[in-house]
Amino acid sequence: MEMANSIVKLRGYKDGLHLIITPKFSLTDVEEAIQELMDGMNQPLAGTSVHIDMSPSLLTDDDLKELETHLIQKHDLVVSGVSVVDEKCEPPILAAPATHNISTSLPAENLPDFGKAQIVRQTIRSGQTTSCLSGSVIIYGDVNPGGDVVAAGDIIVLGTLRGSAHAGVHGKLSAVIIAMELVPLQLQIGSYVNRPPIGQKPRGYPEIARVGAEDIIIVEEFIKF
Amino acid sequence: MGKVIVITSGKGGVGKTTSTANLGTALAMIGKTVVLVDADIGLRNLDVVMGLESRVVFTSMDVIEKNCDLDKALVKDRRVEQLVLLAASQRNRKDDIKPEQMQDICERLKEIYDFVFVDSPAGIEQGFHNAAAGAEEAIIITTPDVSAIRDADRIIGLLQNQNIEPINLIINRLSPALVKKGNMISKNDVLDILNIDLLGVIPEDTGVIASTNRGIPLVHNDGSPGAEAYMRIARRMTGQRIPIPEMRDDNFFSKLLTWFSRNQ
Ligand SMILES: Nc1ncnc2c1ncn2[C@@H]1O[C@H](COP(=O)(O)OP(=O)(O)OP(=O)(O)O)[C@@H](O)[C@H]1O
Ligand SMILES: [Mg+2]
Repeated sequence: MEMANSIVKLRGYKDGLHLIITPKFSLTDVEEAIQELMDGMNQPLAGTSVHIDMSPSLLTDDDLKELETHLIQKHDLVVSGVSVVDEKCEPPILAAPATHNISTSLPAENLPDFGKAQIVRQTIRSGQTTSCLSGSVIIYGDVNPGGDVVAAGDIIVLGTLRGSAHAGVHGKLSAVIIAMELVPLQLQIGSYVNRPPIGQKPRGYPEIARVGAEDIIIVEEFIKF
Repeated sequence: MGKVIVITSGKGGVGKTTSTANLGTALAMIGKTVVLVDADIGLRNLDVVMGLESRVVFTSMDVIEKNCDLDKALVKDRRVEQLVLLAASQRNRKDDIKPEQMQDICERLKEIYDFVFVDSPAGIEQGFHNAAAGAEEAIIITTPDVSAIRDADRIIGLLQNQNIEPINLIINRLSPALVKKGNMISKNDVLDILNIDLLGVIPEDTGVIASTNRGIPLVHNDGSPGAEAYMRIARRMTGQRIPIPEMRDDNFFSKLLTWFSRNQ
């Protein structure tokens, strides 16, 4: 099931209904769009629970609280959870997110649960960014030069990683980056940076990057976990 | 009902205008009705490449400002029938036109013509957005160098977000001899990164500059490698199955391939 207008989309996933909010709109716009969406539905949704997916730094916490109340009072919808993601990471947003520089280490107990993974079914092209600040990212495609992937957990690219990847963005140093072909412009894990030599050729086998014993990012053939 | 195709690249000077002029002329030569829309406002040059500069009286700006009807602003080509040009105003700037206005013009043109080609300006700003506003399909022009490919990739992302589909690729100025020496990125490497369908490859051809200066599109210059390549693309665009030949720097092979493509 998929209902959409330009500001909000309602999608059915395995774990239930998700309300996906696209970036750049104000709370009033979003509320209006939801009204429009509900008006256009031919089956009543009252009583169901929805999960909100939205881009980082879009609505403030207060906005979110208000939106939750609004959904309950006006539409009888219960918010089951909120994920700060990029529209299930598709399509990628087109500007580098402000989240990029927040790689300061959080105390361990504040780290979010990294169990969730976002699946991106497209190539991340130059100028595009996809980020998952609550878990790992799996990309069914390539990451091209100028493209950026940011994740709280691991980054797995089932294609060629030619752009930049930042895993463990909140400071999780056990995060890894795996790609079928690893020829990146830059890799980051936590606050560690690795710039491979320019002009590196694809090796023809999958590789894994992780933080090694000497506090440097090491890259080696990926065989198994 | 025809289709609106934007010809764009991101990077400047890679051959958008050359390709618009030659593909449009080639399609008209094989019997299609074609209109070329110059969306490079302020830098009018499609009319120069087409050799129609002296015939331009009205531009798309005049149509928008209702100084004249759309059909009055269309300039007929001097050589090929069923080929017309809608020129861009040189007095205006890229943001003097709104996307909706461009869209409206394209909608009206595709009622009449089989192919509406929009020659986009370089860049990813307003001018590009205007050019893409009325388009349902796109042709990306890139040259085999890192920065052109990077910009092409960026543009593909933007077009995909606008649900423009299909987005096809033309690789321009490929020099097989340089590829062979390892001094130029190969066709396959370009395709590997951009990962969209290839319409064709145009070789580096000194005839292009001469034809630009004379205002006679290269496709009139029968037999030149560039002309052959554009003709093949045009035929591919009408649904004919024309294979993309592997380019060889070897003289014997290129002669053989030209011979084969002529006799198809
Ligand atoms: N295949 C080719 N072989 C040799 N020269 C070429 C070829 N294609 C284009 N050129 C030359 O490259 C220059 C730029 O071409 P053109 O004006 O078509 O590019 P453009 O992408 O439209 O540029 P702009 O971004 O400024 O609009 C011209 O001088 C043209 O003659
Ligand atoms: Mg041009």
